[in-house]
Amino acid sequence: MAGAAPPGAPATTATYVYAVCRGGDESALAGLRGQAPGSPVRLLRFGGLAAVVQDVPAAEFGEDALRERLTDRTELERCARAHHAVIAAAAGVAPVLPFPLATIYRGDARAEAALGADRARLTAALRRIAGRAEWGVKVYARQADRRTAPAADKPERPDRARVAARPGHAYLDRLRGLRHERESRQEAGLQAVEEVDRSFARLAVAARRLRPHDTGLTPGRGAHLLNAAYLVDEARGDEVADAVRRLRRSPECRDVEIELTGPWVPYSFVEAGVTGAGG
Amino acid sequence: MTLTSHQPARAPAAGRLDLDPDRVGRDLVSLVLTVVELLRQLMERQALRRCDQDDLTDEQVERIGTTLMMLDQRMDELCAEHGLSRDDLNLDLGPLGTLLER
Repeated sequence: MAGAAPPGAPATTATYVYAVCRGGDESALAGLRGQAPGSPVRLLRFGGLAAVVQDVPAAEFGEDALRERLTDRTELERCARAHHAVIAAAAGVAPVLPFPLATIYRGDARAEAALGADRARLTAALRRIAGRAEWGVKVYARQADRRTAPAADKPERPDRARVAARPGHAYLDRLRGLRHERESRQEAGLQAVEEVDRSFARLAVAARRLRPHDTGLTPGRGAHLLNAAYLVDEARGDEVADAVRRLRRSPECRDVEIELTGPWVPYSFVEAGVTGAGG
Repeated sequence: MTLTSHQPARAPAAGRLDLDPDRVGRDLVSLVLTVVELLRQLMERQALRRCDQDDLTDEQVERIGTTLMMLDQRMDELCAEHGLSRDDLNLDLGPLGTLLER
């Protein structure tokens, strides 16, 4: 343990913080591998709250070492999955406030001091997310070959004779057609997103728009139109699935694909809670 | 940070600088072609607007259309010469969307 190191010597372990919870039960964390298999995931109590922590090798979790590792997609995925597994296990027994990936302090004493100083904000955030779950809603444009847009919207096929006689005019007509199609597609996408957001706003106590991700990461999908997270009371979980079913059938959402994930530990609402925004 | 090209992930990881001279050359070509393509699209848009205003003769419109068509073909050829597709030229501007229309 970091505390055991002789004064002055650099600590060989650091304290990795996964989450903060109220109460909590160490037995729920038994057997978790976390980021450093071999050292137990445990609770670090401070002022009425508890942090879910683990001792990790300082050399592997230094600033440079971490940056190096997390730029590697495979390694990033492994770390994120380990991080989430611990948080999900902790969330099974008590409301937890998940911390960002790779929140690291130099030893328990530092972690305790820093978290203790933040106690009021953490308590408020915990109160805000208790009994609530996060649902992720993503909306993608349907890809061209799977669109159901009426044929009238498609640019007409120019007949060969006219093209041969006036290729310039034919090219301009084709441009106009493409432009018109693109505009109506964008318009339809916006309407779908609005409809989805309206439906969820009625269910959720808080909402956040996240940055749509690079379409290169989701091959086989159209443009990413909406990436939103909604904080919903656990009791209303069924209504979420109903809402998505209804939306998928609605005419506004004809040419989009709606993807629902959850319930999640409210990762996206930790910050909003901390700043005290919303209910 | 968010300015990433839509090219297939050739680099093992984002944020690392790869100084392989071949790749740097290719990346430069694709950047230049991106700028050319952006200008070409702007020109097309401007030309369409002019043609829609109805103050050009049929002949003028035909000439504009033919020029644009040839530019478009030339762009295809340039991309093919450098082993790129039109999609490769697009840039993801994060929250702003993509640089080029799709």
